[in-house]
Amino acid sequence: MANAETALKEATTVIDGALGAALVDYTSGMALGAIGGGKDLDLTVAAAGNTDVVRAKVRTMEMLGLQDDIEDILITLGTQYHLIRLLKGRGANGLFLYLALDKNRANLAMARHQLKKIESELEV
Amino acid sequence: MTGGVSPLLRRLAADRATGALVRDHGTLYLVDGQVVHAESPVAPGLDVLLAGGSDRRSAARPHGARARRIGAGEREICRLGALFDAAFFALAPGRGPARFRYGAEPRLAGAGRPVPAAAVERETLRRRELLDDVWPYPALDAAPVVPRPAAPGQSVTARGRALLSRADGVRTPAQLAWVLGRPAFHTVLEIRRLAAAGLVETPAPAPVPDPAPVPPSGAAPTADPPDIALLRRVRDALEAHL
Repeated sequence: MANAETALKEATTVIDGALGAALVDYTSGMALGAIGGGKDLDLTVAAAGNTDVVRAKVRTMEMLGLQDDIEDILITLGTQYHLIRLLKGRGANGLFLYLALDKNRANLAMARHQLKKIESELEV
Repeated sequence: MTGGVSPLLRRLAADRATGALVRDHGTLYLVDGQVVHAESPVAPGLDVLLAGGSDRRSAARPHGARARRIGAGEREICRLGALFDAAFFALAPGRGPARFRYGAEPRLAGAGRPVPAAAVERETLRRRELLDDVWPYPALDAAPVVPRPAAPGQSVTARGRALLSRADGVRTPAQLAWVLGRPAFHTVLEIRRLAAAGLVETPAPAPVPDPAPVPPSGAAPTADPPDIALLRRVRDALEAHL
């Protein structure tokens, strides 16, 4: 039974190469919790900005008539991965986990798997 | 919009005060200068949010989610969401002066992490700016929501559809929030987005005092200011087509 803070802490300690993580409400763009980041990566700014990414994708799927849910969104930069994982569940109505990874140290498949696990713990 | 939301809140936070900050549209409860709870008649409380609203239709959720026990994580997330939601409305500019009742405690105290007053203030300001960025018509926030027909080919998100289907021309955004069990700010924001897309009527702004009558002369008439709302709607409709 993890709370939001513990889940984020776990995300940044368990996942190799994690630079920061945030739990974001995607309607308002508010970070309900954030850990890591620092001056190179302002997670509250990233949180608000990435809600537009999620909303654009949701809208596109509606336009395409795709009856499906987004599980995660991967953004690959030159030196970082940004991973957005949408949470399901009642209270988690419209939330996503945002994870920034160092590309050189991260194992992407492993990170996705661990993020999925953290999500399930968050909701139990 | 610059400056603080509430100078009194800042002072109370600096003094590490404990009690209730009572404003026109809600109450903030502080312990040691940190916000532990917020209430507003506009914003649905934690119980409403967790129950999924009063609407029967929204009760039909997949996977029997309503029957599920609520985990600690989920509850904490919901509590934080409700706190910031109520705080946004409680800190809305009011007419009367704010009062502080020292030592007052919330009736429905939700145990959880206290939030720094500065974080509540910052988030409230960010939300005000966000609303203005989306569609700068504050009159929408308290007016009955009147849906407009979608343009051919225009798509609406599932969340938007859920709102529109319950907008009967009488309910305000806050009332829709209670019906759907969503935070009130989220509903206000969604309504502004829908209005920007032309899917909800934007109420006429408060009448502007008549400009000085133009003397009938040979001078070239000055152009009327452009109707931004109309232009945006035309642009959105065009984008939806192209």
